[in-house]
Amino acid sequence: MKPQSQPSTPSYNINCRMSQEAAALERLCQVIRIRGFRIATMAVESAGEHLDITLTLEGTRPIAMLQSQLEKLHTVAEVALGQVSGVRVQTA
Amino acid sequence: MNGAQHILDAFHRHNVSTVFGYPGGCIMPLYDALVDDVGVEHVLCRHEQACALAADGYARASGKLGVCIATSGPGATNLITGVANAHRDSIPLLVITGQVPSGLIGTDAFQETDVLGMTLGIVKHSYLIDDADALPAVMEEAMELAQSGRPGPVWVDIPKDLLLTDVSDAPYFHSEPQKTSFPDLADALTMLRAARKPILYSGGGISLAHAEDRFRTFAESAALPSVVTLKGIGNPGKHNPYNLGMLGMHGSRAANKAVDECDLLLVIGARLDDRATGKLDGFAPNAKMIHIDADAAEINKLRATELAIRGDLNSILEALTNALQDKPLDIGGWQKQCRTWYTTGGFHAADNEEPLAPITGPAFVRQLSRIALDDTVIACDVGQHQMWVAQHYDFDHPRHHLTSGGLGTMGYGLPAAIGAQFADRKSTVINVTGDGSFMMNAQELATIRRYNLPVKLIVMDNQCLGMVRQQQELFYGNRESQINLDDNPDFVAMARAFDIPALHINRTDQIRRGIETILAYNGPMLLHVAISREDNVWPIVKPGASNREMIDETRRTNKKEHVA
Repeated sequence: MKPQSQPSTPSYNINCRMSQEAAALERLCQVIRIRGFRIATMAVESAGEHLDITLTLEGTRPIAMLQSQLEKLHTVAEVALGQVSGVRVQTA
Repeated sequence: MNGAQHILDAFHRHNVSTVFGYPGGCIMPLYDALVDDVGVEHVLCRHEQACALAADGYARASGKLGVCIATSGPGATNLITGVANAHRDSIPLLVITGQVPSGLIGTDAFQETDVLGMTLGIVKHSYLIDDADALPAVMEEAMELAQSGRPGPVWVDIPKDLLLTDVSDAPYFHSEPQKTSFPDLADALTMLRAARKPILYSGGGISLAHAEDRFRTFAESAALPSVVTLKGIGNPGKHNPYNLGMLGMHGSRAANKAVDECDLLLVIGARLDDRATGKLDGFAPNAKMIHIDADAAEINKLRATELAIRGDLNSILEALTNALQDKPLDIGGWQKQCRTWYTTGGFHAADNEEPLAPITGPAFVRQLSRIALDDTVIACDVGQHQMWVAQHYDFDHPRHHLTSGGLGTMGYGLPAAIGAQFADRKSTVINVTGDGSFMMNAQELATIRRYNLPVKLIVMDNQCLGMVRQQQELFYGNRESQINLDDNPDFVAMARAFDIPALHINRTDQIRRGIETILAYNGPMLLHVAISREDNVWPIVKPGASNREMIDETRRTNKKEHVA
């Protein structure tokens, strides 16, 4: 079957610092999923009482909306949005 | 002091006097501690869902923290609907559950569920306690968090062994309230003065911020034509001549028309929910927007705003009131136009003059609104009756209207009424429900009886799931599917089985006497109101359509239309 081009999906780099707590990563991933983004890559590093999480996300919704939802989480200390890393064209 | 005693100690320190709960295996240490406690009244509901919904109703009616308690496993899962209800409507709730002992977590132990994992999406925050010494700080933080900023439910899951462990006297966590600089209102005032057709659009955030009085003063002195969301009903009070009522799917034609025509929306404590805005592309197409809200994540979430203001609503409303006092807005023509729209397109259900005529929902609610005193609390369920109350009951205060707005939880009303009655034992509390919703938490009649709560129950019975039937009629080619409830039990006999007296009415000339009888009765009483199966809520906007495309009875059609 000939691969079909999918609509372009913007990709974003996000760095997030949050407290070490039970379900920290689940909490983060749950918000990312329900707000319309897909995790392409994820790296987690433990830094004392914090977790530093580096993510590449894909999604068509405004990234600022996700950022404000992540910042709302009680245990999230900081969310830094990297530059848009270009547009990725998915093919099936 | 063990973990369980520490929880009660936290309740005392925070003046939590009433909690709603249901005991079970892993929460038994807390119930054991309750035996010796004299400062906290524990209300035993008959289902954990009702515990959470009663705590929600208590919080809404009182403005205080609601607290519910359950055991692990099914106790916790039964709470979930009620907690989700509170989450969607930003109600401050503290949820305490017992968990299986620490060493058994992850072993599929009896009554073990991953409460933390399964509730992530319905809480403001949650904790699984893994160290008894952390409990004091967590309790402090949880109670503060539930009530601060944009309120919401906070869940604390505690393994049974830690409830029994002695807790060391660790210092409590006390967070200092964040000091925020007062926002600059100059741009807002410039936009307000420049607008020729401004609309004040308010929601549940007014009462959540305890800003009811300031809002009313502002709305009256600014004389801005005003619309409200479902949760904002009551914000402008009964006597504001510029209140056009609820907007949205079942809003007034006047409210939707005014929003459609306005050139400025001043949105305060509302989140532009789809039931209020209809299709966003067609919502207030000519308007700029000023959005004042406690939650930064709501700004620009669904519609880009020209100006966003965050801060203490009381201070902002006071400053706006003062700023407009010296030089009122010059919008006389617009005010007059909105009043005209309200006269022709407000909610004005006519009384049926024919005494033997069947009872209609709007006419019944109108009568109820006229007879009940201004401080009566109405706890609704979900469905047609909920919308008739929203449309036709004249509320003087938002805390008098308890309704499940975001989640739309059938079964909310009865437990919420119980919660509201515990918030003020002297107030008149009426649960207005439908035959579908009533059966979802009817076991709580036993709670009403047990505590001899004078809650009044009005069951508007159309022998079907009326709101679903209505949408099947209008949008699914009248193909009725699984909405028939004509085998309902005899609700009068059912109430009497719980030792609650009950009356049945089915004619227009019985409405007044029926309402007056239950209100005069010194105790709980049920009024069973038979209404037509075919009655619809008008107007209605088809889900996904623009509010401009309201359908009313004159345009009723059986044409096959399908919603996505």
